[in-house]
Amino acid sequence: MRKLWHLRELSTVAILLIEILFFGWYLWPDGNRPHPFLNLPNALLILKYSSIYGIAAVGAAIVIISGGIDLAPGAVIALAGVVCGGLFVEAGWPLGAAMAAGLLMGVASGVLTSVLIVAVQLPPFIASLGVMGIARGAAFIITEGRYFDLSALLVGGWRPMGIPADWVAPIVMILLAVVFQILMTRFQWGRSVFAIGGNETAALFSGIAVGPVKTSVYVLSGLLAAVAGVVLAVVQGQGKADLATGYELDIIASAVVGGASLSGGRGSVMGAVLGTLIFGVLRNALPQIPGATFYDRLIVGLVVIVIVVADQLLLRRSSTS
Amino acid sequence: MLEFRDLRKSFGAVKALRGVTFAVAAGDAHALVGENGAGKSTLLKILAGTLRPDEGTILWQNVPLHLNSPREGLERGIGMVYQEMLSFPNLTVTGNIFAGRELTRGGRLLEGEMRRRTRTLLDDLHLTISPDAEAESLSAAHRQLLQVARALAFDCQILVLDEPTTSLTDAEVDHLFAVLQKLRERGVTLLYVSHRMPEVFRLCERITVLRDGSYVGTYDAASSAPEDIVRAMVGRDLPPRAEAAEAVTRGPIVLDVRQLTRRPCFQDVSVQVHAGEIVGLFGLVGSGRSELLETIFGLYTPHSGEIRVGDRPVRPRSARDAARHGIALVPEERQRQGLFFNLSVRHNLLLSREAASGGTLVRPGQERADAEHLLREWRIKAASVDVPPDSLSGGNQQKVVLARWLATAPRVLLLDEPTKGVDVGAKFEIHEIVRRQAASGMGCLVVSSDLPELLSLAHRIVVMREGRIQGELTGDAATEEAVMHLATSELRDAS
Repeated sequence: MRKLWHLRELSTVAILLIEILFFGWYLWPDGNRPHPFLNLPNALLILKYSSIYGIAAVGAAIVIISGGIDLAPGAVIALAGVVCGGLFVEAGWPLGAAMAAGLLMGVASGVLTSVLIVAVQLPPFIASLGVMGIARGAAFIITEGRYFDLSALLVGGWRPMGIPADWVAPIVMILLAVVFQILMTRFQWGRSVFAIGGNETAALFSGIAVGPVKTSVYVLSGLLAAVAGVVLAVVQGQGKADLATGYELDIIASAVVGGASLSGGRGSVMGAVLGTLIFGVLRNALPQIPGATFYDRLIVGLVVIVIVVADQLLLRRSSTS
Repeated sequence: MLEFRDLRKSFGAVKALRGVTFAVAAGDAHALVGENGAGKSTLLKILAGTLRPDEGTILWQNVPLHLNSPREGLERGIGMVYQEMLSFPNLTVTGNIFAGRELTRGGRLLEGEMRRRTRTLLDDLHLTISPDAEAESLSAAHRQLLQVARALAFDCQILVLDEPTTSLTDAEVDHLFAVLQKLRERGVTLLYVSHRMPEVFRLCERITVLRDGSYVGTYDAASSAPEDIVRAMVGRDLPPRAEAAEAVTRGPIVLDVRQLTRRPCFQDVSVQVHAGEIVGLFGLVGSGRSELLETIFGLYTPHSGEIRVGDRPVRPRSARDAARHGIALVPEERQRQGLFFNLSVRHNLLLSREAASGGTLVRPGQERADAEHLLREWRIKAASVDVPPDSLSGGNQQKVVLARWLATAPRVLLLDEPTKGVDVGAKFEIHEIVRRQAASGMGCLVVSSDLPELLSLAHRIVVMREGRIQGELTGDAATEEAVMHLATSELRDAS
């Protein structure tokens, strides 16, 4: 953590570059036709879709570094989107207020998770599994099977502060990644998160406010998932209860690919965001390869294993030398 | 019987063993002593087969020995009992003894047969535990003896014990020694690795000393004194034991504990510590001494009573709170309660100060300078402030935890077993640090099971037994016998 950019993050960047070069070569078009993968609109598309994962992965990385796990993000993304969409479309709330209400749902989920973990002392896996069910269930109860189409009301090229709508999600992701990377490496709070993940008992004995820090970590994870959900709702223009199903595992996988250790105490926010880009590129490029459509989940699974095994081999070498 | 021939092993630039040669004769009780870092653990790991020597061989019954696992060792008749007690807490006693080589017929477990053999084995060791008890319900001593039983179930001819008494009380040590004595009569050879001179002299007739990875010599216990062995271990004369109670300039009371009660651990405990004073707190395991320190430190809420720092009453609700009131605790188990192995030494050193000060931003340059200053000030041997603490020796790890708390500039320093598992040299350095802090006006309250240590360090000794203060001894009255008598005798005013 001496430098803001760690060796581990550089290796994630390297993997991402190799991946982009590979698909650039493999999908090189015949003749003078435009490249189907290496072009600016496609890059923006990858960024846009990855940023929903990326925003939530910031929170997931912090939870994992603290030695915990959060399974709720996927459900919280849907709940926040649904609440924001419902209030905007059906209750006629102004967009800002509807977005704030969506974010509040994330905070509420995070508070519930943290109470279950810090006060009731449930294992994080169980606590967040329960909250995942509650959040997803609440989204279904609110929508009763409907879906809120925000795009109809956001016509005329919605441009918050003059930014094109397509750029909103990537910009939010990059901002959050930078802010939390700095918080984790340069602030007392981030140091405490690493310490708790490394040895919770020692953290208690060292005068670290273990309870409050853990609470903040889960509330943050809920809030960041809600940010992703609200952004998804406004950018894609829809609020649906079954959105983002299964995202939690992709998000955890991104954090791990980005260097986070599930046993806690190790990892980085920037790495997790880069991890989501690695998967974003895969999800974008694989369907463009003829016949690969049915293989993409399998390939994603293999990539997770290969990257983590390579990481462990690297780690083992550097710790024995 | 067991012979080590010119064993050499290096880890990078560090020479852990520089050619060690010695032999253990059949039927002997042979002690292996040395400071931390002397090479004892490396030697044992090579014997167990978890490390390979760079050079040299081990001969077992005159045949070169190359073990690949502790399991293979057991099959060849070499049993090992480890310091860290590798038992399976979730399995029964029987399950532990037969773990990995269960008796089966056609793949089916022979539960009855295993239980019967376990009972015979336990009876043999005079252990009154049930073969069906779960290992986690056993005391530390019984778990240690369980490992001895496991080794015996394999009919071992030599039993290697690595600091088996670290977490045992005196009575438990007595029991372990009785069992070991019995094994010796049966012709089992012992290789006993320890720091503790009294134990070594009680059990062993030959003592081999290692220092800095080299073989110093093998001594006959009958014809040498503990001081000779310690001198051989340290390679120099030890400073004379500081005279307690001499030239104490007692300042005002800095820590005043009044009738503190936290059931069921301790009741009605009152202790005063003056500025500049080192108060020793002695008691057997279970006397409530660690719990008392942890309560003063805010990790538990007392049921009643009062804690004052200086002349202000305080009610610390957490360790952070306590630190803000000027109370620091160096905990008993540095591995579990003290150190962060995922963080560098620098972060380990400064965490508490940063947490207590409530600062938000970390300034790396300042932090590095502060950490380097702490390393120099407390003479902590680390390659740099950026290495993780597992690259440090036990003594230096302990100094890191101590330095972390001294960096918060506390008024009251609570120390729980400050020299547990550290070598003799580091022990004296830690004592020096504590004396220096006291001399500069800090009040120190030290818990230790090491009575000679407490007698040399403390100005005054408070004895606890079963959660109550049993008495206080100062000056010439504070002898080992007097303290032990207080710690073990019935309450005088009870009836």
